[in-house]
This record gives sequence, structure tokens and C-alpha cells, in this order.
Amino acid sequence: MSTFTKIAWRNITRNQYRSSLTISAVAIGLASLVFLKSFIDGADQQMVENYTSLLTGSIQIHKTGFQKNMGLEKSITEANSIFTALRNITGVEAAAPRVKDYALISSPESSAGILLYGIDPAAEKKLTTINQRLRRGRFLTKEDKDKIIIGKDLSDQLKTDLGDKVVLMSQGADGSLAASAYEICGILDAGAEDIDKNLALITIEAARDLLVLDGKISEIAIAASSLNDIDEIARSIKAKIDINKYEVLTWKEISPMTYQWIQFDQVFTGLILFIVLLVVAAGILNTILMSVLERTREFGIMLALGTKPQQITSMVAAESFMLAGIGVTFGAALGSGLVILLGITGIDLSAISSALNSFYIGSVIYPRLNIADLCVYAGIVLLTSVLVSIFPAKKAAKLSPIEAIRHI
Amino acid sequence: MQKQTIISIKDISKIYREKNSRVETAALDRITLDIQEGDFVAIAGPSGSGKTTLLNIIGALDNATSGEVIIENISLSTLSPSQLADLRLKKIGFVFQAYNLIPTLTALENAEYVALLQGMPKNERRKEALSALKDLGLANLENRKPGELSAGQQQRVAIARAILAKPKIVLADEPTANLDSKTGSELIDLMKLMSKNLNITFIFATHDKMVMEKAQTLIQLHDGKIIA
Repeated sequence: MSTFTKIAWRNITRNQYRSSLTISAVAIGLASLVFLKSFIDGADQQMVENYTSLLTGSIQIHKTGFQKNMGLEKSITEANSIFTALRNITGVEAAAPRVKDYALISSPESSAGILLYGIDPAAEKKLTTINQRLRRGRFLTKEDKDKIIIGKDLSDQLKTDLGDKVVLMSQGADGSLAASAYEICGILDAGAEDIDKNLALITIEAARDLLVLDGKISEIAIAASSLNDIDEIARSIKAKIDINKYEVLTWKEISPMTYQWIQFDQVFTGLILFIVLLVVAAGILNTILMSVLERTREFGIMLALGTKPQQITSMVAAESFMLAGIGVTFGAALGSGLVILLGITGIDLSAISSALNSFYIGSVIYPRLNIADLCVYAGIVLLTSVLVSIFPAKKAAKLSPIEAIRHI
Repeated sequence: MQKQTIISIKDISKIYREKNSRVETAALDRITLDIQEGDFVAIAGPSGSGKTTLLNIIGALDNATSGEVIIENISLSTLSPSQLADLRLKKIGFVFQAYNLIPTLTALENAEYVALLQGMPKNERRKEALSALKDLGLANLENRKPGELSAGQQQRVAIARAILAKPKIVLADEPTANLDSKTGSELIDLMKLMSKNLNITFIFATHDKMVMEKAQTLIQLHDGKIIA
């Protein structure tokens, strides 16, 4: 260890109380930041997972323009070739065909406008968790040509129950009036208003019959093996199909609001990082400045003996680096430990579950540690500490030896 | 053997002016003197006579208002601050009144500090530092910090630090001020021996009669002027 490094290290241990306080400020600041980011990441990840696994899927394929302006004229006719292409794409875990259209649902008591899904029950079970959200009744089977599942809020609105009949009305692909009656076999409680109030499920065959679709479908919904690779998987799909005819949309494009919410979280985290950095910088600056002022005479002697100003600067900067380094180490360990522990047990937020559920977030949130984020934050805190020390370091280096020696 | 002039001071004055005032104080008033190589010089005088100011100017720690200081044929006024720092490092050793050791370094590390700045290899400077400390009666105390040494011991470490760098000149500002008379006398005798053996020019700023008596050359200052 060089003599200047020794001096720097020993100066830190000279005033243990002050050094401990500074190290604690850095450690707690970084730990808080790591925990907050992990909490937000965990909540966001849960939100996306729940949202995509509930009904939407990670990626959807439609005829071009369908997402913007849904209509039966934009049906997919070559579904088989697309399914064949999807089988060879890494990251596509499951895919299911769907028919989608707006319809009117009526009961003797009431009626409502809904979004009608025609699904392949077996394929849908591999793709989403909608089948697990039944409050009452049972899920559809392939043979259910006249059965329907509706949301609990819709059921309440129509004043219907299991076994009751409802009528679906829409316009067929050939322009004819489409109408048929269905028996309610299941009532959903998905915890999401757009499903519980506005959705009805029938089999894909029943939907094709109703809407005169003759083997066509509206969309192919896809579950990806990893939400982190979603963009790459979407690119792979686009490379395999005719992108002039079809649109390939990730969940970010299907639900821009959800995506924007996540982006807002990143901005929020950035703001917190800035505030933490300010606190850390103030702590380090205060400590180093006090230390430099206390050692004015000592620096004067060192300069008088022939120490170069840049050696003084480096020594003071080294002190700051060491203080921050120790703080960052403890902070990283504390933050990571907390996140790992709570990542196993979860953080129970049942008290605000209704608010969380509306964002597709469960009552228990599991923080997710991102090592890259941890390294970046630690690096930023370390760099900030060193930069902040430059002012007192330069101040020490510019001392007049004779005036410094006379300093009391 | 005729000694050479190592320091030539020509008409040095140092004027201090108070801030926002026209009042001027002459700390030094047209001082001229030559100091020979290897000499043991005491600059004596009461407090405020300009002893420390003169020492600081010779040591390139302070600038004269007018006049010239020439050390080994180099005029200090021609050197930049960086060159002055270099001169101090290579040619001048300092023994301050308040020892001024680096508190976080051990006696050994303090002793070898200037040699370290000069770039002396580690093994060599360590060996010389241990030897110097031993010669100064500090054997087995090399690992103690200044706070664990007595006043006399700290001053010896400061002397070791000054000597180890093999300077041409050692400037000592009231080195015995904080020592008892016995310790002070021992240290002065030690430095006198070093001056003789190593041909180092020692210049003391002092008002200690014992130091004045042991000096080869005595310069007396009063109100910034040489009176004897």
C-alpha cells in the first residue's frame, strides 16, 4: 500500500464516529435505492405477467389494421401456415387461435355491449390463466356449441346466473344478422373490470357459426417463454410471416397504458436515485470538508516538505473513495439481502389490494433483484462520492504552506 | 579550507500591509548576509524581530517583498512555485517548532517521508530511516505514532526526517522551544555533529541562549534589521 493510501486509510479510522456516520448514510442510501427499485420491478413484473397471462397473451398476431379498427373483414385466413411458422420460433411457448368481435348480449332483464371471444378451450388453457378465474361453474370444452362464460359484473347487470340463457347478437361476416342463444356455464371473477364487465367467452366453433366466418380467425395469441425477450421474439415472428399482411404486436402495443405506467415507474425510480445521490453527496462533502479543514496544518507541512499538490488531491479523493466504497459494499449487501429475503416471503399489501388489483398486481409483492441495476447504482454512488470530494481536495492542494502551517 | 557561500541574501525586505488599510509593517528591512556551506548559524532576536520570516524566505515558503535570495547560485525569484517546491524537496530540510509530524504515520514512516517524496527506493530509505532513528536514540520506537512519543522523541523524528533526505540546508525554527533544557541541549549537540559530519548547513531561528552559545555564527535581528 502506498504511503498516501496509508495516510488516506488511517485518516478514515482517525475519526471513527464521523466515518461510521458517513458510511452508514451511503449504505442506507444505496440499500434503500436497491430495495425500492427491486420492489417496483417486482410489482411491474407481476403486473405484466398477470396482465399478459390473464387473457391478452404476450404477443398477438392480426391482419394489419385489426388492432386499430377491429372488424370481421380483417380475419386471418391462413392461420395454419402461421401456426407452422410459430412452432419453429424459439421463445414461443404456446399459441391459440381466437375469434373476436363486438356483440350485444341480452337477457330478459337487460342488455349490454360486450367484446365477444371465441376460444379454443384446450389451447387457451396452455396460453392464459382465464380458466382459473371462474367464480362459479365450469370452463368451456370443445363440444360446448351453445355454452357461454361471462364476467360477474356482467352477470349482475343482466340479472342472470348459472344455467340462465342469454342471446348474443352481432353482424356476420356476410353482412347478415347474427343471433344465437347460449346457456351460462361459468361466471368469471378476474379482478379486472374490462373482463368482469365487458367480456363473454364461447368456443371458437360457436363463434365461427354465429359470425359466418367459415374457418377464419381474428387473432393468434401467443405466450412467450420470457417477457424479457418479448421484442426479440416478436422480431423473429415478423421475419417468418408476411408483415405486409399481418401485424405482430407485443403487450406494450396492445396495452400502451400499462407500458407507460412501467416507464413512469422508471422515471420515478430515477428521481429517487437523484435524491439519494444528493443526500450521499452532502454527507460525503461534509465529512471530507471537515476532515480537510481539521488537517489544514498537516497539509501545510506536507506541502512545505515537498509534497506535490496533485498528491494531496489524490489522497483526499482516495479517502472519499474508501468511505464510499465501504458504504457501497455494506449498502449492496444490505439491499440485496433484504430483497432476497422479501423475494421469498413477499410483502403483504392486502390492506390496499383493491387498488393493486385494478393494476393487475396481487396483494403480495415479491421484489426482484436486478444485478445490473445494483452495479449501476453502486457505481453511480461511488462516482458521485469521488466527484464531490474534488472541491475539498483541490482546496487542500491549493493551500499556501506557510499560511497553513500557521493555521490553528 | 575556505568554505563556499551556499546562501546569499541581498537586500531582503518583507512588508506586510493590513487589509483595507495603509498601515505597513516591515517584518524585514534590507537584510543582507551570506551563509557558508556547513555553517551552524543561529538567527536570534526577540519575538517579532523577523527570525521566522527570514527563515521562511530562505526556505522558499514565503516571498520577499524586495531583494534576492540565492541558494547555490540559483535565485529563488526566478523559480516558479513548482520549482520552489522541488527545491525544498531536494535541497532543504525543515525542523519546525511544533515537530509537525504526520499524525497517522509511524515514527519510521514519518522519518522516511521526504525520502519517499524524493523517490528513494523503499529498501534503501527504510534502512536509512531505521539507522537514523537508532542514531537519534529512537531504536525500537519506530512503530509508534507521534501521539505515543514524548516531545523530545517527536523532535528527533523530525530531525531524522530532515536529515534522511540528504539536504544541503536544514532550517530549524525554534526547535528547542517545547523541550526541556537537557533534551534541547542534547538535540542541538546532535545536529551540530551532523552538520560537521555531513557538511549540512544548519540555520536556526531561536531566542534560546543555549542555542546561541553553541552556534558558530550568530546573527541578531531586531525589528527586522540585523544589529549584530
